[in-house]
Amino acid sequence: MSDRSVLDGSPARRRSPKVRHGAGEWIVMAILVLMALAVILPLILPFLFVFKTQLEFSYHPWALPRQIRWINFVEAWKAVRIDQGLVNTLIVCAGAIAFTIPPSALAGYVFARYRSRLTEILYYAVLLGYFVPVQMVLVPLYRMEAALGLSDTLHGLFLPMAAFGIPFWTMIYRSFFRSLPGELVEAARIDGAGHAGIFFRVMLPLAQPATVLAVILVFIGAWSDYLLSLILLTNQEHFTMQLRVASFLNAYGTDRMPRYAAAAIISAAPTVILYLLGNKWIIRGTIAGAVKE
Amino acid sequence: MFLCLLPAFFFLAVFLYYPIVETFRISTMRTAGLGQELYVGFDNYAKLFANDEFQAGLVHVFQWAFWSVIVQLPLAFAIAFALTWYGNRLTGFLRAAFYLSNVLPSAITAMLGKFIFAPNYGIVASFANLLHWKWLGGIDFLGDPKLAFWSIFAVATWAYTGFPIIYLMARIEQIPRDVREAAMLDGASPWRYATRIVLPETSYPLRILAVLCTVGSLKLFDLPNMMTSGGPGNATVTLGITLYRHGFVNWNYGKAAAIGAIIFALSLVFTVLQFSIGRKKGEGQ
Repeated sequence: MSDRSVLDGSPARRRSPKVRHGAGEWIVMAILVLMALAVILPLILPFLFVFKTQLEFSYHPWALPRQIRWINFVEAWKAVRIDQGLVNTLIVCAGAIAFTIPPSALAGYVFARYRSRLTEILYYAVLLGYFVPVQMVLVPLYRMEAALGLSDTLHGLFLPMAAFGIPFWTMIYRSFFRSLPGELVEAARIDGAGHAGIFFRVMLPLAQPATVLAVILVFIGAWSDYLLSLILLTNQEHFTMQLRVASFLNAYGTDRMPRYAAAAIISAAPTVILYLLGNKWIIRGTIAGAVKE
Repeated sequence: MFLCLLPAFFFLAVFLYYPIVETFRISTMRTAGLGQELYVGFDNYAKLFANDEFQAGLVHVFQWAFWSVIVQLPLAFAIAFALTWYGNRLTGFLRAAFYLSNVLPSAITAMLGKFIFAPNYGIVASFANLLHWKWLGGIDFLGDPKLAFWSIFAVATWAYTGFPIIYLMARIEQIPRDVREAAMLDGASPWRYATRIVLPETSYPLRILAVLCTVGSLKLFDLPNMMTSGGPGNATVTLGITLYRHGFVNWNYGKAAAIGAIIFALSLVFTVLQFSIGRKKGEGQ
């Protein structure tokens, strides 16, 4: 399959020929459905506990709640301050997207169009970045940010995040631009377009599938980050959602299960809603990103 | 034209190339707070390899890598094959369901893991109490040094098997329909089709997944840090956790940088090793 059809999501998942499988199919499908339910179950069970008081929970954890109580949600919300966390996280996501994608698209375009020994060497320098684990650079990164006054700020978090994403997305954009026919550039040049015109008017719109993919995956990456945020943010007010969830884990614990369940529901909700709306895009994008290497 | 490369290389130079060089430099220094540094050669590395906590971390990440390749990949292959073999109305839904836990941020995964394994009030404990199974209700999954590692591993298997499933499904769906039809005309059973045709066809993606699993294990940090903080004792310590403890709890930058360099070296070795072994096999066919 060509690069572009992966990104466009065209016909990869056509149905296999209709064959009678009989009882075997029923048994295997039943097992698969049970396993899939087991995957979803930890996200559903909290709803059974969350409307109970601690006392009701200790005596009848598995019974249906006698009445719907919202108090656990209120307490968990106060403890996690998910609203503040959400704002911080969205700022980090937006920043990561804004600083990862344009540099990657530009560099990927140059690497795809202008091939010389120098660009080859530079491309390998970019690839090197792809193989460096983030953990390797934590100490110098932290010290540098402290020296530059970037530590404990949200831009101090999304700038390095963008840097770690650039190698991968440069690779994606490079292979995407290489799959576009060269005649397009020739035609645009004959029409009198300059380098910038060709890039912005012709190539970038054509690269839209790659850009959509990049926006989705960079967003998810920034949204989920734990390690970098843990190292670089110290002030509670700057904490992202994930740091708030993690500190709730340590500070409140599981002794009051209904409140814990409320916190689990509140903090998982944005991700789950996002996934319910866009799981086709997310899965397609993840595969396209992985197939690339 | 080279101006276009400038933004990308600016970011890489500041946040990647410079810190890489610095990591190697700091790893040969003994540091006390900000500022004072003393060159000690490979002393940090030598001390680390003699240190119990670091040894535990090293053993754990290799154990984790081994078991995730042994458990998660065959499981993912079986599920991916079954889903593509019986392509029906449920396939799309099941694919989405299996991948759901992968999208959850690790903090949420850790939260749900504790929700399941917490003593007294966790799902497993509550369920055991319901059935009056005292032996099960009394187990402290995350607090018992013998069980903590495996409890976290179970949570990770729950959370991360979705990715190999969707990746393998995408590869299996690319096998031309004619191949399968021909195999079925020859009377091949699903088992024979899976082992003789699908398995060789997916050997490259499986190798990539094995590399990802191994390198991912070397970097393991989020789940053990949030669920057990590496404890009890050193039962769930990983290289990432020793790095965090040395660097950002004890503020010993030299040792933390040395651990960073070790993680880098190991992931490089494993990537190269697994690909060169795989390539030789591929050429032999």
